Amino acid sequence: MALEYSINYVANNRYENPVKEAHWQFTIIPEANSSQEQITVSFQNSLHIPHDISINGYGFQTLRVSARQPLSEVVFEASFKLMKKEVNPFDFQPEGNIEQTYKKMGGLDFKIDFEPFLRCTRLTNLPMEYGDIFRFDFSKAVFDNLIDLNKWTYEHLYFKTNVTNVDTTLKEIIEKRHGVCQDFTHLFCTLARANGVPARYVSGYLHQGNGYFGDSQMHAWAETYIPNIGWVGFDPTNNLLANTNHIKVAHGKDYNDCSPLKGVVYTVGTNETSHTVKVKGEQQ
Amino acid sequence: MLTKFYLKTKKFPNKCKIFISEAPKNRYLLGKNHFMTNLENQIFSSYQRNPELYDEIYDQKGDIKEVYQKLFELYGEHSIEDYVNLNAKAKSSFFNQGITFQVYGDNDSKEKIFPFDLFPRIIAPEEWDIIERGAIQRSKALNLFLWDVYHEKKIIRQGVVPMDLIGSSVNYLDKMNGVDPTGGIYNHISGTDVIKHNDGKYYVLEDNIRCPSGVSYVICNRTALKRALFGVFNHYQTHTVTNYAENLLELLESVKPKGVDVPTCVVITPGMYNSAFYEHSYLAKTMGVELVEGRDLFVENDFVYMKTIRGPEKVDVIYRRIDDLFIDPLEFRPDSTLGVPGLFAAYKKGNVTLANAPGTGVADDKAVYTYMPEIIKYYLDEEPILNNVYTYHCSRPDELKYVLEHIPELVIKPVDEAGGYGISIGNRLTKQEVERVKIEVEANPRKYVAQPIMSLSVHPTYIDESESFEQRHVDLRTFTVMGKDKEFVLKGGLTRVALQKGNLIVNSSQGGGSKDTWVLKK
Amino acid sequence: MGRYIERSEHIARYLSVNYFSSLDAPNEISQSRQFVLQSMLFMVGSPVDDKTHKLQEETILYKIGLDPAYDFSIINNVKHARENANSARDLISTELYEAINKFYHFTLNYPKEVFVKNGLYDFTTNVTEMTAVLRGKIRGTLLHDAVYAIIMLGMNIERATQIIRIINAKYHDALKAQGSYGDKFSKSFEWTTLLKCAESYDMMRRLYKKTPTSISTLEFLILNPNCPRSIMNCLNQVYNHIKILHPSNRYDNQSTAFLIGKVRAEYEYKLVEEIEGNIQIFIEDILHNLTQISLKIEKEFFSF
Repeated sequence: MALEYSINYVANNRYENPVKEAHWQFTIIPEANSSQEQITVSFQNSLHIPHDISINGYGFQTLRVSARQPLSEVVFEASFKLMKKEVNPFDFQPEGNIEQTYKKMGGLDFKIDFEPFLRCTRLTNLPMEYGDIFRFDFSKAVFDNLIDLNKWTYEHLYFKTNVTNVDTTLKEIIEKRHGVCQDFTHLFCTLARANGVPARYVSGYLHQGNGYFGDSQMHAWAETYIPNIGWVGFDPTNNLLANTNHIKVAHGKDYNDCSPLKGVVYTVGTNETSHTVKVKGEQQ
Repeated sequence: MLTKFYLKTKKFPNKCKIFISEAPKNRYLLGKNHFMTNLENQIFSSYQRNPELYDEIYDQKGDIKEVYQKLFELYGEHSIEDYVNLNAKAKSSFFNQGITFQVYGDNDSKEKIFPFDLFPRIIAPEEWDIIERGAIQRSKALNLFLWDVYHEKKIIRQGVVPMDLIGSSVNYLDKMNGVDPTGGIYNHISGTDVIKHNDGKYYVLEDNIRCPSGVSYVICNRTALKRALFGVFNHYQTHTVTNYAENLLELLESVKPKGVDVPTCVVITPGMYNSAFYEHSYLAKTMGVELVEGRDLFVENDFVYMKTIRGPEKVDVIYRRIDDLFIDPLEFRPDSTLGVPGLFAAYKKGNVTLANAPGTGVADDKAVYTYMPEIIKYYLDEEPILNNVYTYHCSRPDELKYVLEHIPELVIKPVDEAGGYGISIGNRLTKQEVERVKIEVEANPRKYVAQPIMSLSVHPTYIDESESFEQRHVDLRTFTVMGKDKEFVLKGGLTRVALQKGNLIVNSSQGGGSKDTWVLKK
Repeated sequence: MGRYIERSEHIARYLSVNYFSSLDAPNEISQSRQFVLQSMLFMVGSPVDDKTHKLQEETILYKIGLDPAYDFSIINNVKHARENANSARDLISTELYEAINKFYHFTLNYPKEVFVKNGLYDFTTNVTEMTAVLRGKIRGTLLHDAVYAIIMLGMNIERATQIIRIINAKYHDALKAQGSYGDKFSKSFEWTTLLKCAESYDMMRRLYKKTPTSISTLEFLILNPNCPRSIMNCLNQVYNHIKILHPSNRYDNQSTAFLIGKVRAEYEYKLVEEIEGNIQIFIEDILHNLTQISLKIEKEFFSF
């Protein structure tokens, strides 16, 4: 069984003062991987500037637009069609010997292999005083601990938009206990890493047919690496394991590595950006 | 085009060196030197020599070294007035060559030149041979190290160096993981800073492999000295330094992207207000390539083009004098206006070569320096040709013990602080301070390393104020260029002089000058 | 760069020629120090409106020569030329760059007391000689390609502009100075000074073999293409250099080359008699055209 998705992404940028030159880079194309197959990618903008499809520093596809004429408003519209295979998150072999798994995770080779995803970044920096906020139970399997962490994160924070932004520190999120999917994911990743589990931030689309949190923006969740199993997706915002409804675009250490839109704009004054995302799924 | 002229004070492209020894207390006259008698009233007559310091022009017996003898005689013939005149001539040559920096006063700004000394430093062929082989060895080892840390990371897996070297380094770029730079070269251009200690041996203080600068001064120093004292060159067989640019271009062309026949190379500069702009324009001009700023380039379909009045021209090799984080605002610092959006993607695709490669900075961290002997051994299976200043890692118990017992003879440095913060110089500490340092190091051994206090060699240097020659501390920056299967070390280098008496800081912002450096032919 | 070099030369020469020719000028007004100083200020673009205001010789000389606070002073022009050379250091030859630097340090270090007391001749002569050296270095040490064309373009536009400004200033002087000894405007002593300011007096004598008059001077300095300082000659050169930068033969009436060609064609077949009646309007016209050309060059070649 598979689902055919059509995704529509619109970004509208308005600038207070005319822009002389601008470059935008979108990381919004669904990744082609074992469960996702790209069918079509189309991209336009209101100024009819040609775009480049390129690969960014982390190896994900990007759309790049460079404007060299003055402008004050621009609308970008992308639509993607893809096939997503049915994903059963519980479909894997058990981890095997628990003790050996933890031992392996403590080894140098493991730490080197997953170094970036064990690293603490500006957005995933666990304040000293919260060092023990979530400790693994080492008698339980890694997967079970992560399920607990997923639930814990879901319960610790409540979903609220417009209270946090891309610069909000983890300390503030832990203390104020609210945020959006980015914040849930950052907290989850941080605590997984604090317990020695490589975790990466995933950005993508969520098919919202079932009333999940994630509003009409891009969604974020996490993937963690469990020895003998591989990367497993957790969606702490919805206390779920990533499944058929999660369409992955890119991953990185934190939001900054996979922010959907990066822009360099030569102008003064403020700008306004609004995004809308629509995801439609159809059973094949 | 450009309307406003404003040059920031140029800083010499180097970090401070903090290697302090006691200021000489006793001064001795030249003593048994046999020139002494002829030199009454001449410029060397008042040269005072402190025997505790290693003087570059004397051998161990206290006689003038053979390579310096002729020069010593020639200079000795000059009266002080002659010398003052020559000095003025050399200065005007610097002004005319435009090698100046701006100093701001209360009302107006003044243009100044870097202090330049007419007495050259001479390096004998056999000594140079060691420096040259040592510099190449280090550059090669660092290059292999860089390849390794951006690929399999074997050296860390095998426990030769700790993982912190990459994990906690801000200069380690994840994005370079798995990228194969053309020709396998990361550090195309390296600047190795070397000193001579009072044991007469050369030691490396630092490897600069981001954007080492200073090479243009080497060439201008030579030009100035030739203009002022051409006669002196008749007596010496000195290697040229003017072939740097041609070698650089040849090596840059050797790392051209695949499928390019005749590569177009450019030099990218942060702009004319950058303190090293003179050097950037100098190198571009002498290589005969275009000097560009970020805004002169653009990327289309992952190829890099240069804007010209005839339309776009594809660029294949970029000698970049912009730091990693500024090269591409879409991938690194978004506020950078110096870079080119999309450049990194073009680089990763192999459509353009950047020299030096992004992420190279990880290998010139202070922490990596301390492992250089191990790194050289690991990759090349060779003993280091140039000495490293021995570094005691306080994290190792036996070394910690030594450090705690010998604090007055050591320099204690925090591992992660840059810019000379938190450094304690053993022989400058009071007893109480030594105890305090002991307690601090014992409490956080992982945070500290220690090195013996180095004493830089001294060289006779003409001092304007006293109108005579005096001993001043010097170091040497060498320049190594590596291309595909070829490397080149500039025969010469930048000898920097600490102009304040007893001072060991050779940085120009702290009153440092420079000397022409002669490498003699065999 | 070319522009600033050219401008400093003309200002220097204007100062020197006017000052020294006024010392033994045939009529009182031309000989008057106030008259000369006013003329100098008029030429550099800061005319004195209040005629009763008494000008201090030393102040004015300092202002036009070495005052770093006055935008149009010689020293500032040299500074701009050097700054321009700095930014284009990779494009110009070492020889040219060193010559510009030498020039810069000469002006910068020229003692101001000496200049205003008795250094006027020495300073201005040095400036004009150094600019001649620069011109030689430009011609002899640069590849004759786009960079050369840009420098020469600037130089010739500036020369035309300065010549017309000098004509304008001397035209005003000639108007003011007429009558005192019965000289007519057309036979004013100021025309000789004008020619000397443009280093064209000897050429003019060779061609006309008569005392310069308003008509012959204007014809020579504006319309005669064989005079290397004439407006016409400058326009011809500007046209040749723009062709290097913009070699296309495609019809494009928006291009700089088109505009230059148009202006050039207009003066090529102009008769001096057509100018004589309304010199003032004609001068303003030329200045306007030159400004338009500069703006267009800037837009077409320097805005990317």
